Amino acid sequence: MSEPVIVARRVTKLYGGVTAIRDLTLEVERGEILGLLGPNGSGKTTLLRMVTGYLSPTTGSLTVAGHDTVRDPLAARRHIGYVPESVPLYTHMRVREFLGFMARLHGVPRPAVGEALARVSERLDLGGVLSMPIRTLSRGYRQRVAIAQALVHNPDIVILDEPTNGLDPRQIIETRRLLLELARDHTILISSHILGEIEKIARHVAILLRGQLLAVRSVADTPDLESLFLSLT
Amino acid sequence: MSALGVLLRKEIHAAFVSPIAYVIGAVFLLVMGYTFSLTLFFTKVANLTYIFHQMYVLLVLLTPVLTMRAFAEERRTDTLELLLTAPVPTVSIVLAKFLASLTLVTAMLAASIVYPAVLWLYGQPEWAPIYGGYLALLLLACLLVSVGMLTSSMTENQMVAATTSLGVFLMLWFADSAAYLAPEPLDALFINLSLIGHFTTFVRGSLFLSDAGYYVTLSILALFITTRVLADR
Repeated sequence: MSEPVIVARRVTKLYGGVTAIRDLTLEVERGEILGLLGPNGSGKTTLLRMVTGYLSPTTGSLTVAGHDTVRDPLAARRHIGYVPESVPLYTHMRVREFLGFMARLHGVPRPAVGEALARVSERLDLGGVLSMPIRTLSRGYRQRVAIAQALVHNPDIVILDEPTNGLDPRQIIETRRLLLELARDHTILISSHILGEIEKIARHVAILLRGQLLAVRSVADTPDLESLFLSLT
Repeated sequence: MSALGVLLRKEIHAAFVSPIAYVIGAVFLLVMGYTFSLTLFFTKVANLTYIFHQMYVLLVLLTPVLTMRAFAEERRTDTLELLLTAPVPTVSIVLAKFLASLTLVTAMLAASIVYPAVLWLYGQPEWAPIYGGYLALLLLACLLVSVGMLTSSMTENQMVAATTSLGVFLMLWFADSAAYLAPEPLDALFINLSLIGHFTTFVRGSLFLSDAGYYVTLSILALFITTRVLADR
């Protein structure tokens, strides 16, 4: 059994009086592809944001590669590449400029930036758009750029929040292929409210409802995930 | 280059590609050029006291427009999530935006050096009030920009950020008026809070540590609170 790289212990997150995550304990092993599944508002994004350090747990603890996300946030973040749900990009920048900035921001030394850009642009087929302003790109290419910025510093863990949202069927298939390829050498944490998507990508699924973790199951050992999901939610 | 350097470079680039910076710079120099020419024509005195007060008013009015985008725009487009999940200290993000905006204001002030140059060419100006005036403007800019950062960090609406900044500046400007109504020793507090009170002594050519301390302390306080606002998630 592999060591866990993400460990959540009795994590609760409150927004004012609203409980977004309730007493959640979860471990994600190295090399795992864990899908977070749940209806809208179930706490998937909040959980991912806590793992990235963007949000702090109200109680409980979260560690990434052994680093506490509250006490040692910078060390924890060095291990993470993150694609937020809204695909935020600096649209006034050119793709090359944006990826170079993100690489430097994540500590890639200046002489190694060119190599890092070549690596991600090849992997995500961005070679043809590197010189283009991001604002001129299609939704599909913007999604690729967003994934590229998460990979440019070669993190161990890649976190993707609803990565196929708003994509057309062809782009969804391409993104799925890409994620399966990434899974060869990364730990992946992915959220979706589309059961079919998670089933095709993840090895394990964690089912959330109203901030509570209801179950963690192996996709291979759960032939009828849909029935399980319906019975739990 | 440190994370601060990487962020500063991005912020300065963003500031100088934005039309807002050029519009503000043009308005500032146009109004100042007009005022300087008229003042010199009518008074024929090699003195910049009136001009420095004019610059003070313009900075109070224009800085909110310059700083309103800083965090509000990043919040609106969700790019703040990219910055705050990168392995860089929050204080570096705040300082980079502060220094970039301060660079813009300093560039505007630097362009106004033509006024003392004209006085030097055609008259015999007294230099102490001129040095003091520029130092006061620089310190004032630090305070205005740091308060602008703070209000921008609290909202995703740029107009709300600009209006709130302007409100704070006007309250600070006229703080000494409240001293007439306040009992002792509260009246001294209002007098010492006055933005213009600390400015005028510099322009007269007097240099008091307490006046410089006022601007430096409030600037540091505003930047500290900005960092806390961003870190408190």
